[in-house]
Order: sequence, then C-alpha cells, then structure tokens
Amino acid sequence: MTLADIQSQSSQKPSPLLRFSRRVLMGTGFGALALCFGFWATPYGPAEADFLNRLSPPTATHWFGTDHLGRDIGTRLLFGAFWSLGLSFVISLAGLLVGTLIGLVAGATGRLPDMVLMRITDSFFAFPELIAAVTFAGLFGPSTINLVIALSLVSWMKFTRLSRSLAKSIAEQDFVIQARLNGLPAGLILLRHILPNVIPSLLVLWTSSWSRTILAVSGLSFLGFGVQPPTAEWGAMLLDGKPYMQTAPHLMIFPGLAVLISVLVINLTGDRIRDLLAKTK
Amino acid sequence: MKHFLSRLPGLVMVLLGISLITFTLSYLAPGDRATAIAHARYPEEIAFPPELLQAIRDEFHLDAPFASQYLNWLGNVLRGDFGLSYSSQTPVWEIFTANLGETVTLAVSSLGLGLLVAFCLASLAVRNPGSWLDRGAVLLSSIGAAMPSYWLGLLLILGVAVHLGWAPSYGTGSLAHLVLPALTLAFWVMASQTRLLRSFMLEAGSQAFVETLRLRGIPEREIFVRHVLRHAMVPALTMIGLDLASLLEGAIIVELTFARSGLGSLLAGSVLSRDLPVVMFLVMFFATAYVVINSLVDAVQAASDPARNR
Amino acid sequence: MQQNDPLFHLEGLTVEIDGKPLLRDVSFDVSAGEMLCVIGESGAGKSTLLKALQGFLPATCRRLAFSPANIRVAGAVPAITGLPQSRWVMQDPLAALNPKLTLGTSIGESLHAQKLSAQACKSAVLEALSEVELGPDFYTRLPGQVSLGQAQRACLARALIARPKLIFFDEPLSALDALVQKKIARQMDALRHKTQTAFIVVTHDLSFAAAYADRILVLRQGQVEAYQSRDAFFDQPDSAYATELIGAARSLGTLPPARATA
Repeated sequence: MTLADIQSQSSQKPSPLLRFSRRVLMGTGFGALALCFGFWATPYGPAEADFLNRLSPPTATHWFGTDHLGRDIGTRLLFGAFWSLGLSFVISLAGLLVGTLIGLVAGATGRLPDMVLMRITDSFFAFPELIAAVTFAGLFGPSTINLVIALSLVSWMKFTRLSRSLAKSIAEQDFVIQARLNGLPAGLILLRHILPNVIPSLLVLWTSSWSRTILAVSGLSFLGFGVQPPTAEWGAMLLDGKPYMQTAPHLMIFPGLAVLISVLVINLTGDRIRDLLAKTK
Repeated sequence: MKHFLSRLPGLVMVLLGISLITFTLSYLAPGDRATAIAHARYPEEIAFPPELLQAIRDEFHLDAPFASQYLNWLGNVLRGDFGLSYSSQTPVWEIFTANLGETVTLAVSSLGLGLLVAFCLASLAVRNPGSWLDRGAVLLSSIGAAMPSYWLGLLLILGVAVHLGWAPSYGTGSLAHLVLPALTLAFWVMASQTRLLRSFMLEAGSQAFVETLRLRGIPEREIFVRHVLRHAMVPALTMIGLDLASLLEGAIIVELTFARSGLGSLLAGSVLSRDLPVVMFLVMFFATAYVVINSLVDAVQAASDPARNR
Repeated sequence: MQQNDPLFHLEGLTVEIDGKPLLRDVSFDVSAGEMLCVIGESGAGKSTLLKALQGFLPATCRRLAFSPANIRVAGAVPAITGLPQSRWVMQDPLAALNPKLTLGTSIGESLHAQKLSAQACKSAVLEALSEVELGPDFYTRLPGQVSLGQAQRACLARALIARPKLIFFDEPLSALDALVQKKIARQMDALRHKTQTAFIVVTHDLSFAAAYADRILVLRQGQVEAYQSRDAFFDQPDSAYATELIGAARSLGTLPPARATA
C-alpha cells in the first residue's frame, strides 16, 4: 500500500462538511418534532379566548402568559412559527428555484438572452425588498397572499446573479470541456456538471435569504402590510400586543425573541456551512 | 471614467426597466383611479356623477391603452414633471423634498454613530483574534444582524422612554426625538459593519508585506494605522456603499416604528391612501438611487483597482 | 499519395485572433501507433494548437486529413467541438474531473455517443480501469478521494475507453510527482503500443520526448522551428533554437550528455 493509497482511504471518512450537514438535518428534524409535540401537548387553541384571564403574566398554566383576549401566547408562538418560518421558507424557496433557473439559462445560452435577462434582473434588483413589498401589499390590499406575492417578486434576483456567475466560471472548467468533447447534450451538462457544483453556494445564499425573509415577513406584518391579526404570525402578534406594551410587556417580548432566535440560528448555520465550504475548496 | 461610460447603455436600459415595472405596478393596482382622484379633489362628496368621472378619465388619459399611458407618463417624468399629489394637490416634488430631510438626518446620524462604534469594536477585536473581546464582537454583530429593528425600537421605547423617561418615544421634531430611532438603526449598522471591517482588517493584517514590516521591527501600532487600516478601507468603503439600500430600508422601518415623518412614512401613507403619483415617484426614486449609487461605487472601485483597468 | 498514408495529416495550420497570429503555417503527420511530441516554451502556441484542432478556436489550413473520421478539409477547420475518433487528456486531472461525479460516471461519459446500456457501459469502464491498473473500487470513488496520479490514470482510462485512433495530451505529467510521472509515462507508452493509438503530446519536458517520442515538433512564437524524427532531432537539430534547448537540458542534467556522433 503506497502513501497515496493510505491518504485516499483516510479521506473517505465523511468530511466535516458532510458531518455538519447531517447534524443540521438532525437538528431540523428535532425542531420539527418539537413543534409537532408542542401542537399536540398544548391544551389551548391559537384563537381560544379566555376573557377571565386576560393579560396574565407567565404562570404555570400559561408558560408565556396570555394576551389582551386571554389567548395563550405560547400556543400562538407555536402557530406563529408555522406562519413566520413557513411563509418565508416558501418565499425564499420560490426565489431560489426561479432565480437559479433564470441564472442558469442566462449563463448557459447565447449573449443576447444573457444580456436581456440580466438587464431585467438588474431592473428588479434596484427595488429594495421592503419598499417593493410595502408598495405592492399596500396598493393591492394588505393580506397574506399579497405579502407572499410581493416578497416573491423581489426574492429571486440574488440567486440569478450568483448562479449565472458560477455557471459561467464552471462552464470554462476542464471537466465541462471534456463533457462537451464527449458529445453530451447541453441539458445534461447543465444538470450533471454545472448544477451540482453551483448548489452548495446557492444553499448558503438561501439560508441568508430565508432569514432576511423572516425579518421582512414579520416586519411587514408588524407594520400592517402583511399577515393580519388575529392570525398568530409573530409580527402580527407584536402589532396586537403593542398597545399593552407598558402594562404587559410579555406580549411583545416573546414574539420578538422568537424572531431573533430563529434568524440567529439560521444565520449561524449558514455561516458555518460557508466556512466549511471555503475550507474544502 | 471609460469603464463608467461603457456601462452607460446598460444603465439606461435598467432605468427604463425600473420605470416600466413601476408603471405596471400602478397600472395593475386595483380600484378605479378616477374615483380616487375625485375623492381627493372633492373630499366632502360621497358619490360622483358619471360625467365627472369621465371628465377625469379624459383629463388623465385613463382610457388610453397601456403603452400610450406609459409613454405619456415617462415623457412627463423625463421633463421633470412628476404630477400633483391626489390628496393635497401640491406637486409631488415639493412633498418629497419636505420629507427627504428627516430621512437623510436619520440615515446619516445612525450611519455615523454605527460606523464609529463598528470601527472601534473591529479594531479592538483584531488586536487579538480569538480572544473573548473578539468573540464578543462577533457575537454582538451576529445578534445585531438577526435583531428585528422594529422590535429593538419597541424595547428601547419601553426601557429608555417609558421606564427611564430619558427621551421621547414617538414623533418628530426636536433633536431628542432623533435619539431612539438613530440608536435603533445605528445598532444594525454597527452589527453589519463590525463583521465586515473585522474580516477586512484580518485579511489585510495577514498579508505577506505586513509580516515583512513586523520582521523589520516596525511597531505594531504603526503597522496597524498606516498599512492594515489603509488596505482594509477600500473594500470596506465599497461594501458600505452597496449597503446604502439596506440602510434606506432600515430607515423606513424605523420611521414607521417610531411614527417619525420621513420618506418611509410618506410612502406608507400614500400607498394606503392610493396617492399614486407620490407612490410612483418614491418607488422610482429609491430604485434609481440604488442603481446610480451602485454604478458610482463600481466606477470608483474600477478606478482605484489597477488590476481591473485593462 | 504515399502507399503508407498517415493517420493524421496537417498542412499549413494558421490561427489568428483579433489580427494577431497565434500559429503560422504549422504542418505535421502522425501515423497509427506513433507519438509526436510538441515542444516549446510557454506562449509558443502549444495549447493553441490543441484547442484549434478540437474546434475551440477559429483556424484555417491548406489541408487537414484524419482518415478514421473521414475528415478531409481544406480552408477553415470545422468548428465542431471535438475531433471525432480522438480524445484529449488534460494537464490537471483534478480540474478535468467533475468533483461531484464518481470516476466511473466520468469515464463512462466518454462512451456517451455510443448509446450503450448501463450494464455494458459499466463493464467497459471496469475494463478500462483495469487497463490503467486501477481496481474496480475506483468506480465509485470521487476525485477528492484519490491521489493526483490515480486521477490522471482515470483520465487516461476515460480517453482509452472510447478506442480513439488519436489521443491528444496537454502536459499530462507536469502536475505530478517525479515517481508518479515515471510510472504513468511508462504506462502511456505500453498502452500506445498495445492499442496502436497515435499520441500527440504537448510537453516542455525534453527528457520525456527523448525517451518516448517517435517524432518531435518544436514551436516558437507560433512557428515551426524543427520537425524531425527523435534520433535526428537529438543528434542534429534543425535549428539553432532547438540546439539551444537541447544544450540547456543537457547542462541542467535532465538529458544525458551528447552521444558521440559518427
């Protein structure tokens, strides 16, 4: 056995990146399980009012207290996770898919489609997310669906830019030239050679896009342009609790904390993946 | 300059794209525009005769096809005529300039404050990478990036304004009204810039020439000030330029949270009252500002980077 | 016409980009089973030659004939990607292999045009792996899990599996360690004799050319400086530049001192 053979065998152990990805998957699964357990374990409903027990601070029966209608804040936070995290997940995922598709098409086809597509992308890119969302949701009527449409419209451009520039640089690499020499059709080259090498960076960008969208969804809902109360979205809960800020601060502290912690966890996960990716290169 | 000129056709196309998107948005917005205009003109009336609505439609060419309406509007915009606000009947430009100052004051003061803190934090952090001070700075900037600014604003109102009574909570007016909004936005600036400055300084400090200077016995402080900082400044300035859009967005959220007047409140108010000329102008303004700033940053970067001057 | 028609015949190849000539009037022949070494310093046009012949650069010639693919052209070199019945082995094996694909899949892609069943393709790949002395376990390995030499052998297998009549090599050994270089050079030579494939090897390594080449072509600033059989080249180079090159290699010790000429 030569030295090279030993080295190659030792590197067959899972890389730190793979191990971390597994841990992330396990963590996500555990979080989802915990959420499901919460839904099952809570004796309250998200809209279940108890007028005798309004604005109660955290107690043994209501761990996170109750709001101005006597609804259990803990239960509403659980349902809020579904809205805040779920909506932003869907929006950023749509952005990832649409943006990547446009980027790959722009990067892989001729100069004219590339130019046209990138100018369109640049035009959309110029609209700051929140301004576009406030305008759209305001003009078309503040509602959950309009919030989703508005944020989706401005969520894809980052992915287009990244996937296009990566696709362009990968298309010049030797292994793609080999595939072209071997007569592989362009679609197969895109799918087999370019896409797998673009995905890791796109995923890192997607984590940051997801966390930004969480902030945008809850922020717009808090400002009245998104999910409307009484739906238990975290930003809408904040808006609901704002008038009682002085007497019952727990109404606004817990939803905000939920946003902060979710965004922090997603950001730190993305940073770690990025660092590990940079190390393997 | 040459680089900038070569980008000019693309820039013009992007600006046209922006105007098209803006106009399409207002064109598709539900609700009858003639009724909205009539409501604004005659606030006391509840119902309007069809002849009046038709007269308004004719006046604003509301029955014309999409393309001719768009070209008509674009022509006016290019001549600098942005129309009258539906609700106040004053030129959009005047309303805009009246509100611009508040937003710029907020943005500039928080940018200054945030950068100052970020600069100090990053300089302290890179002195001893890995120390508790460094980790603290990184943690603080992570928290700052994840912090919903509207929530931070509420916490500050609760803590500083309500409990301590040190500063007024809502509204505009005195300098004191600026304190809490500026602190809120500055926290975000501090978070994003500490992280950037720290990584740029670390990168500049690990370059070969810095090692050479150390071997030559030049004091650490002088190396840091004269070489590391200078090398870290160029990329950092670029990033700060690119982050101006986020700063504007942050300013809008903060304005709405603190019920301050400014462009953000103006946008939200006009959107909800369907004052389309104001909305279209503001949206165009933000998008154009973003594109122009980006192109300028790009041009400056190209001019300062000899490797890209091919 | 000679009775022994060469496998690959090139006459007067010229490549110009933006009015700048990169190659001027390059001609050579390669017969089956022969190795032609293209030598020159960096920038002399060696890689341009390969790229032009593979259709990546616009080029013109007086005559180009490649009998296995039935190619006989004069004027513009056809701009199709890849010369049929030929393969190209690149300098850096790790760049030439997709890091996300197993070696087996990468090698199998070379048979894409033949539309084999998955089973037939796999057995062909395993055979090609054994030809370059890699075990069947390499079929499922990723490029990141093998050494540089093993990766280059996989690239060699990818070229051989299609049974081409001509293989282009672009500095195939320069990314490797000396011992691995020696091993792979020997393997290349043995496979060439076994399969009777013609090799065109771009290299700057005169000792490799001295050991294995049949003919040698020296390029300098896009022009042919010398085109001779190996023995003639090392005994009596055609040009002063070639003499200088050989002299430099001898004084550096990469080539043995001059043999006493008769």
